[in-house]
Amino acid sequence: MMSIIRGIIIIHLVSLCLAAEITKSVSLKTGNQLAVLEFEGWAVSEPLTEFITEEFRETVRDLKIFQVQDRGITNQLKIFKPRKKDYWACWSEECAIDLGRHLGVNYVIAGNIQKKGDDEFLIKGRLFSVDMETLLNEFAMSSSGITDSLLLEMKKMAYNVSGLPVPDTLSVGTDMSQVATTEDIKRKRQWIQLPPIPSKIKALMMSTALPGSGQIWAERKYPGYGFMGTEATLGIAAFIAYYQYDKAWGGFQETYIAYQSETDPHELMELRPQIIQYAADSRKYNALIKNIRSVGLSIWAVNMVHAYLVAPNDDFFDGEYFFDLEYKPDVNQVQFNINF
Amino acid sequence: MLTRFNSILIFKIVRSCVPFLILGSVIFFSCEEAKYELDNPNDPENMDLDPPALFFHPPEINTTMDSSFSVELYGLKLKPAAAAHLDVRYDWGSVQIDSVVADTFFQSENDPVQIVIDEQGILDIFIYLLPDTESDENEGGTWPLATIYMHPVSTGESELLFGENTRLRDANNDSVRIKSFGSGFINVE
Repeated sequence: MMSIIRGIIIIHLVSLCLAAEITKSVSLKTGNQLAVLEFEGWAVSEPLTEFITEEFRETVRDLKIFQVQDRGITNQLKIFKPRKKDYWACWSEECAIDLGRHLGVNYVIAGNIQKKGDDEFLIKGRLFSVDMETLLNEFAMSSSGITDSLLLEMKKMAYNVSGLPVPDTLSVGTDMSQVATTEDIKRKRQWIQLPPIPSKIKALMMSTALPGSGQIWAERKYPGYGFMGTEATLGIAAFIAYYQYDKAWGGFQETYIAYQSETDPHELMELRPQIIQYAADSRKYNALIKNIRSVGLSIWAVNMVHAYLVAPNDDFFDGEYFFDLEYKPDVNQVQFNINF
Repeated sequence: MLTRFNSILIFKIVRSCVPFLILGSVIFFSCEEAKYELDNPNDPENMDLDPPALFFHPPEINTTMDSSFSVELYGLKLKPAAAAHLDVRYDWGSVQIDSVVADTFFQSENDPVQIVIDEQGILDIFIYLLPDTESDENEGGTWPLATIYMHPVSTGESELLFGENTRLRDANNDSVRIKSFGSGFINVE
């Protein structure tokens, strides 16, 4: 009896060990698939972001921690499942995990490269776990200098993402003071950085200040220049109308004052029709200015709403804070949502 | 991909125009409507005259014993004329005529000819336009025909009127129509 019990226990232990082994091997086999989404470039040309993203992929691939998906496969999603937005940014968990599932990977890296000054870049990256549906890590690095320096920073980031220490060879000849972690950057900016303004609000404010500027900023150049041109044309028309009004008003005031003080009937007879004409002209041009102003203000308002609609959504605001205007093509309506 | 605001050239240009835009917006909101009243008492349109007409200007004279004054015989929207007989009635106990001068209406390149007969409150003024190489009559319009200089002889109120013999003639000696006549008022203190 005891031997039977021992045998059962041994079989259980062996099966348990085998099961653990099998689980581990499955985890290793399927749990390290990584897709690197193309980095979003802010004031950085598209070929450069493509090149840098590819270098980043290669470095991560060479480190052999992750099985990095080929660029072609990752970018296929652009073709087969095009997104509504006109830019390839995926910064939120929902977006990254959704894309990760479509791509069939366990991890997704999304990031962006921002040009901060003439030769200064800020690189941000996020590592998402698709299986755990969470943000695992966030990286940020600043780089100053030419593209070589930018590449170096991307390689360093690849080491960080892979959880490996950055080798000295990458640090030699570079100014380590320029390498900053997310925490460092946050700490430095706590003193000067204003609360983040959502891109939609920023576009709205820009277009409020200068019609069309929000659209141009959001890469909707044709509507932007259209609004700007229309408002400029109306402005010029208004100035011409105002010039004519001013001329008529000046003439009116001059003749009316002369009329009030004049005593000669002949002169008064001459002044009378002039006053009537100048007054009619000033009323005409004033009405024209008012009409131009009404049209201009209407277009200005449309431009503001348009700027808000076409500006990209920020993931840190989208659906979580403030309000949201969204066009729903399926019901053909613009919906106004407020979220707290 | 987003573009930096400062990297867009047109914004740099537009930035310099911002003061003008602000100025422009201020201008747009500050236009006034022309409001007026054509109520000058010397305006013939306010004298209840039906043109063409003759009237005294000024229509009301306030003066004192020790000062002289003048009154213009004015034509309102008259047709072209070459001569006039102005029959003026006044209170010869209140004022006396000093002189009469033909005015702009009959002025051409030559000075007009004038004949004045002053007889106990009836002043007859005959004025003839002297033709020149350009024309033999004037163009009509609103002009003074003659100016009468006078002085008061006693205090009180008196009237100036156009008599029934007042008439105008054109170069063909045809009568020039006058539809209404104004009157004058003299108050001597």
